[in-house]
Amino acid sequence: MLEMIIVDGLSFSLPLFIMAIGGIYSEKSGITNLALEGFQGFGAFTGAFVTVYLYGIFGAESSVPYYAGFLFAVIGGGIFALLHALLCVKFNANQVISGVVMNILAVALTSFLTKRINASMFGSNANKFMLGASSRLTIPIIGEVYPFEVMIVIVSIVMWYVMYRTVYGMRLRACGDNPHSADAAGINVYAVRTVAVLISGCLSGMAGMSFAYSVSANFSPDIYLGYGYLSIAALIFGNWSILPSLFACLMFGFARSAGSAVIHQLGLPSSYNDLVRILPYVLTLLLLVFFGKNNRSPRALGQVYNKGQR
Amino acid sequence: MAENIVEFRHITKRFPGIVANDDVSLSVKEGEIFAVLGENGAGKSTLVSMLFGMYEPDEGEIYVRGRLEHINSPRYAGSIGIGMVHQHFRLVSNYTVAENIVLGLEPVSKIFGIFPYVNIKKANHDIAELSERYGLKVNPTDVIENLNVATQQRVEILKMLYREAEILIFDEPTAVLTPQEIESFLKIVKGLRDGGKTIILITHKLREIKAVADRCAIMNRGKLIDVLDVETSSTDDMARMMVGRDVSFKTERKPAKFGDVILDVENLTVRNRAGFEAVKSVSFQIHAGEVFAVAGVSGNGQNELADSIAGLVMPSGGTVKLNGHDITRSSVREHLTAGVAYIPEDRHNVGLVLDFTLRDNFPLRQYYTGKFSSNGIISKSEFESYGEKLAEAYDIRSGQGGSTITREMSGGNQQKAIIARELDMKTPLIIFMQPTRGLDAGAVMNIHRHITAERDRGAAVLLISLDLDEIMDCADTIAVIYNGSISKISPASEISTDEIGLYMMGVKTA
Amino acid sequence: MRKFSQSLFAIIISLAFGALILWLMGKDPVSAYMDILRGSGLMEKVKYSGRQNMFTDFMSFIDALTPMIFASLAVALALKGGFFNIGIAGQMLFAGFCAHMAALFIPSKIAVIVIGFIAGALIGALIGWLKYRFNVNEVVTSIMLDSILMYLITFYINTFYINPVSRQSKSIISGARLTLSGFRWEGMKLDIALAFPVAIITAVILNWFIERTTYGYEIKATGLSPHAAYYAGINVNRTALMTMTLSGALAGLAGVSYFCGYLAAIQPGETPLIGFDAIAVSLLGGNNPLGCVFASFLITVISKGTIYMSSRQNIDIEIASLITAFILTFAACSSFLGRRRK
Repeated sequence: MLEMIIVDGLSFSLPLFIMAIGGIYSEKSGITNLALEGFQGFGAFTGAFVTVYLYGIFGAESSVPYYAGFLFAVIGGGIFALLHALLCVKFNANQVISGVVMNILAVALTSFLTKRINASMFGSNANKFMLGASSRLTIPIIGEVYPFEVMIVIVSIVMWYVMYRTVYGMRLRACGDNPHSADAAGINVYAVRTVAVLISGCLSGMAGMSFAYSVSANFSPDIYLGYGYLSIAALIFGNWSILPSLFACLMFGFARSAGSAVIHQLGLPSSYNDLVRILPYVLTLLLLVFFGKNNRSPRALGQVYNKGQR
Repeated sequence: MAENIVEFRHITKRFPGIVANDDVSLSVKEGEIFAVLGENGAGKSTLVSMLFGMYEPDEGEIYVRGRLEHINSPRYAGSIGIGMVHQHFRLVSNYTVAENIVLGLEPVSKIFGIFPYVNIKKANHDIAELSERYGLKVNPTDVIENLNVATQQRVEILKMLYREAEILIFDEPTAVLTPQEIESFLKIVKGLRDGGKTIILITHKLREIKAVADRCAIMNRGKLIDVLDVETSSTDDMARMMVGRDVSFKTERKPAKFGDVILDVENLTVRNRAGFEAVKSVSFQIHAGEVFAVAGVSGNGQNELADSIAGLVMPSGGTVKLNGHDITRSSVREHLTAGVAYIPEDRHNVGLVLDFTLRDNFPLRQYYTGKFSSNGIISKSEFESYGEKLAEAYDIRSGQGGSTITREMSGGNQQKAIIARELDMKTPLIIFMQPTRGLDAGAVMNIHRHITAERDRGAAVLLISLDLDEIMDCADTIAVIYNGSISKISPASEISTDEIGLYMMGVKTA
Repeated sequence: MRKFSQSLFAIIISLAFGALILWLMGKDPVSAYMDILRGSGLMEKVKYSGRQNMFTDFMSFIDALTPMIFASLAVALALKGGFFNIGIAGQMLFAGFCAHMAALFIPSKIAVIVIGFIAGALIGALIGWLKYRFNVNEVVTSIMLDSILMYLITFYINTFYINPVSRQSKSIISGARLTLSGFRWEGMKLDIALAFPVAIITAVILNWFIERTTYGYEIKATGLSPHAAYYAGINVNRTALMTMTLSGALAGLAGVSYFCGYLAAIQPGETPLIGFDAIAVSLLGGNNPLGCVFASFLITVISKGTIYMSSRQNIDIEIASLITAFILTFAACSSFLGRRRK
């Protein structure tokens, strides 16, 4: 049972984590990002579409559709995120409003397009792309994992390295604290922020595709279950840092899988799972109430940056 | 003979309503400390900002190392070896000293020759070396937000040196430092000069110029008055030229008739938000029919003094009495009803709700009274007629009358609106905090006339200003605030500007 | 006036965008848009099934419009006071749920409204209190509370209050429901939204409250410039708390008119989407209560009317939310576009 808790917990924690990293990129650069939910959904949509399309060419046995699907989920999430960047960086839109609107737009756009594409390309009137279950790899000690978990681990190490070790990461964090000093140091604040939002879209797309495989084995508008908001809770819980956010995601994931396991063990109906799901949000809220002083969002978060204004 | 490294030729720069620089020509020699002296608004910052590419001159040319340069951005200024430390530092608060200094020019190494990373070890090492070389003590791994202002300033200087700037500009560098810190700062500046750098120092502190500068340009109201060799000039001469009495025009004033004591401040102590005592045990009285002016250099406790008497900040000690009633611990609104009108310094964030219409801004301090509302319901017609009445009486001009959004009005008219609103309450005490900052001559005259009129009406007026001319024009009694204490109180007729200047700069103390 | 032209601009561009999509799909945009109006009961359909006509369509349109008005008013009021009430959905859900529970004991329409008002107000007050007491950002609190409330209520419904056939909560008893469903009048079957007049009156009163009372003046001053409000002698903390409480109460009314009116039951496992749409609707309405009524009207025409349009034109129903989303997207950046042109 313990193994099941770990396996299930990880398969939920890791996509959450990679999405939280995306959120950290965006917010550390100074752009509030409530749009993660929409990004992951849109990424899952493009990824699932490409996968289903490639099934027709390579057959369902090939691993090409699987990996191509993830690649296009990353691309799709990124492209959609550019819209948020456009609104926030270029049009000076309110970042919270833009985030909410992005989520509404993602739901509307993917629901519409899924149906259209199914109707015109696959001759069906379903509102979902069937992916089938992901294959699993067996890893010693941990057990069976999805291939995307391995990808996420690799990508998150790279993203950690970029954020805390490279020139770009250093400049990005400066933009979120004091864009004026970044500008004075010769940094193009607009470009840094646009790329940061793009990255958040790419990583969310990857997360969305993972959820599509692990939670439902298909893409449908049901993908919008609020995991984007949960990853925001995780990154706030992790104080906008990658490693503590990993801890938060693992905690959220294991609480979820352990809770399910316990409820299953006690023979309670599955509806009791919903009680377990409250935990991450309550913890985050309590953390903010009691330790809010130690919890610091990036200083310039959410502020419109205008080069002319000093 | 040293070369001229910077030359300003016939520079003129206009802003709406004022000429900030009027045909200014001067040159700075390589390897000297060149001070630019002048009062607030004399145009010294504007002049030097053009050298750093923050503005471009309307007329005239700037030569650097003999070459004509069009400096259109700070980045370009940096590329030709010009660095500047602004009054407000540009530092990333959660970064270390070294990270701040290398930001934008990071030393990069590669893991296994492939993966590039910012070599923080090298940065720390380089910065330690740089700090050693120039005698600027910093610890490369300290985080900025834990450092005091003087250290942050050293970081800013190192930022310029790391970028190999040869011409270093300092804008009011000592305004935020303690006397001891000033001493060590001046030493640093001398050291930099001896290391071959050219220093341009914007300041209004004579003592510092006397201590370090080689030459000094004196500016007044946008014009260059003279360039002096510091060694052969006296501080008195410089002060006189800086204040430039001859250009001021006085408002016609009847002699004051003092009445009873209206405001009685005793041992008032106020802490600022950081918890430091910004006002230290200050005592004074203001009578009916008296303009009591407080002179002083910016940041010596003026804001806290005004805010605490107006009730916006709770004093930590002492008493404030208005007409004999203790109002020390009263709320903002209780201050209002007791009779304290307040024209605050920050007219954009405090004095007005900028996105309100003009009509809605007038009753800001009285909307709840029976005049403008009954049982919580606002009288639109009263708002309207009151707006028209005030705009008329105080000659407030706005594009669409009372419906104009205040943000879209000119600074002068915004200030007039605040003054109209406060004066119309006809309170026994009126506090003017920097009432004419940034306004053109016409508006200044107008406001001075109002100050005098209020005095003649029998109000007690507390005028706090950084502008010595304004104080000389309006005051019946002059107090000087220095470092949170009032160092001198004197009838206006018995004290000279030169003497006030000495108190303002802390040369003379009580 | 400028806000109005910005909103108009967003609407026109979006409708043009929608027309383009329809055209690309090989449909006639004009007839499609006319079908939208027909579907909302604003134009005569070609034929009606029994006991239905244009008026019955219009009445069900009104039924759908009512919660949207309340929800957008909640957003608008909070924004006036400088708050982002992004938690409308959770407040609606909580209020709807509380009213359902209360109706089990007090089957009265009045009670439903009162309970909804109070329940929403409590959540709003909590958000406001956390903000000024602990300085927790209201956006974050709202997101957390949304999820907490959603899961709690989902659990309760699934465990104790489920209708096993519909997989939704049990229906509220008709005596307490705010919509008279299938009301017979002149041979027609009408859905009468009893809360609709309340919504309109609330919008008018709210407009009056904001524009004509000292409380409204204080809310606006605090929202636009807290420093200036403090200087004016306003109790900024109390005003902020009052603003969020009232905003929550309005969201509560949206909740009961949605879950105990337009719908009779609560769908477990989700928060109502109109809670988020309302944010953008309020933006479209220039954060003005009366503007909100018009913006709600427009958005509801599209969402409601498209059901009919999609069946007539053989277009996917999802086009409705797509056009709505376009309008909201353009509205979000219209303040920039508007400023540019000035």
